[in-house]
Amino acid sequence: MLKIAKDKLPQLLQAWAAGARVFVPQEKDGTRVFLPWDGQGKLTLDEGNTLEPPKDLFFPRTETMYRYQVQGQEAGVTEVPPFDAKMVLVGVRSCDARSFAIMDDVFLTKGYVDEFYRRRRENTRVVALACTEAAPTCFCTTFGIDPGRAEGVDVQMWPLADGYLLEVVTEAGQELLEQGTGLLTDAGKEEIPAAAKPGLVVDIDGVTAKLQRMFEHPYWTAVSRKCLGCGACTYLCPTCHCFDIQGENRGNSGYKFRCWDSCMFSEYTRMAGGHNPRPSKKERLRNRFLHKLQYFPERYGKFACVGCGRCLDRCPVNVDITRVIREVKEVTL
Amino acid sequence: MSSLQEQMRARARELLTQGAVQMVIGWEKGTFWYLSPPAFITEPGECDRLVWDEFCTNNLAKYLLDYKHTGDKIALFVKGCDARGIVRLLQDNQIARERVYLIGIKCPGVKDGRQAAALGEERRGEVSPAEKCRFCTHPEPVIYDELLQEDGGEAIREAAAAAEGRFAEVERVEAMSPDERYAFWTAAYDRCLRCYACRNICPACNCRECIFDRSQSGWCGKQMNRSENMFFAITRAMHVAGRCIECGECERVCPEGIPIMTLNKKIIKDLNELFGEYEAGVDLEARLPLGQYKLDDPEEFH
Repeated sequence: MLKIAKDKLPQLLQAWAAGARVFVPQEKDGTRVFLPWDGQGKLTLDEGNTLEPPKDLFFPRTETMYRYQVQGQEAGVTEVPPFDAKMVLVGVRSCDARSFAIMDDVFLTKGYVDEFYRRRRENTRVVALACTEAAPTCFCTTFGIDPGRAEGVDVQMWPLADGYLLEVVTEAGQELLEQGTGLLTDAGKEEIPAAAKPGLVVDIDGVTAKLQRMFEHPYWTAVSRKCLGCGACTYLCPTCHCFDIQGENRGNSGYKFRCWDSCMFSEYTRMAGGHNPRPSKKERLRNRFLHKLQYFPERYGKFACVGCGRCLDRCPVNVDITRVIREVKEVTL
Repeated sequence: MSSLQEQMRARARELLTQGAVQMVIGWEKGTFWYLSPPAFITEPGECDRLVWDEFCTNNLAKYLLDYKHTGDKIALFVKGCDARGIVRLLQDNQIARERVYLIGIKCPGVKDGRQAAALGEERRGEVSPAEKCRFCTHPEPVIYDELLQEDGGEAIREAAAAAEGRFAEVERVEAMSPDERYAFWTAAYDRCLRCYACRNICPACNCRECIFDRSQSGWCGKQMNRSENMFFAITRAMHVAGRCIECGECERVCPEGIPIMTLNKKIIKDLNELFGEYEAGVDLEARLPLGQYKLDDPEEFH
């Protein structure tokens, strides 16, 4: 176990930044997000979850897939240069670390590997930071996530009053910490601080089985009334991964891009002839919850929610997934 | 006389029991003490869910559009800003007046839920007014069928909006150099997620089909980048020009904290200077500055 003093952390980030793009929670224009470390930013590692999840580092909001051009009878496609930068992601909380495993299921398994995602993901080292305090909106333990230790990361950190404890988890993590020689000291008798205990806990046992019988239930009408039908919950969700592919054409050339999309939007399911199988917010909201709590568990054996609380924190009308889980379990069929 | 909240519950119960309305839209307690989200009551026995406290922030007017094509009559609690939203919808022929029963509330101003969350419940008394209430010009509803009175009458606050305060932020941005202003707005809208919460809460945004739901039309691409985000921002701002009721809900619901009202207020300020003072959603009969033509309208364009 190693330790770094709080005022030495920027130097450690700087050391990593020599060979990689380092992303770490920083404050910018009043919001806290993962931003590239340039040695100048205002680090806000210790203030809980970032406003936006780090998913856009693996799955950018908008990403060009290829370019094309037409000349006379000839058409050609130009591939986008593959992403090959190294990234180090620092200060990832246990909930977001779980979300990476969920995104991996989507983009890397079941017989199809998404090369755009794979390149970014495999080029990234993750340094997790344990939570010792939970926000009122946190409910990660509901999904069996340990706020005190993240899954699938390279280095685990714990906050101390005057610095951080660091523990190597993988070989890649070992390499990272070797780059910090001189900044890191032996932790000696420092003890790992106690993990946070989120007060918001919901019993999810049996919720998938219940939902399998609830597609036509009037509950969805009631719960969707207040929903604005905006996409804030999906875009701030670390596991929402829907995208659209469109083209931008100018004369004889253009490019195809993919960008985030949201099942909360009418356009998402509108078909060419104008028919929409999800005509109102009732069907869209239902889909969002069924995807997280029924379809994803059916396909991948795990819930597509990590209890980070971002949707609960930012939903303008307090659509609360923990309440939905509780109510789903209570409604009579 | 009883508390406002008790009156709300009693009136809702009466209206539903009599069959005078099929639904009452108000507020209820949410997950946390600092949240009072919208509530939709259809059964008399459910009326005790209704609450009235300093976090009843949501403008409820827009929800009427969800019931536009039903035959239901709907009762709605309206603060000053909610009532102005109703006037806007009526002016746009979005819903017939007789389909709505308005129960007015003289609004003392609501509180900033986000700040409340940070302060904690034991400091509930210290929470600041919501940003949207700081420069409110109409705390009392401008249209209603009945008005609820607070017990004993703690005096309703004065309209808070001295013009200086109302446009102070606009003037700060106006005073910037063009480069600074560009940096200010691009930094704000680089964060925009295009979630459209601002549009969806807005009573001025009532198009049957929104341009931003038609990405195939080619007007506004779906890319989340500076160019398309700015196109979205400017188009929406110009589209609600003369129709923005300054309820501030767009800015409140924005998950990214983009200062959307500064943009809207800039347009209100310009309209006032060009076409004379006008407040949207106050007078049902007054015609919109951009909805009419006068021979002496100025022709220059700022």
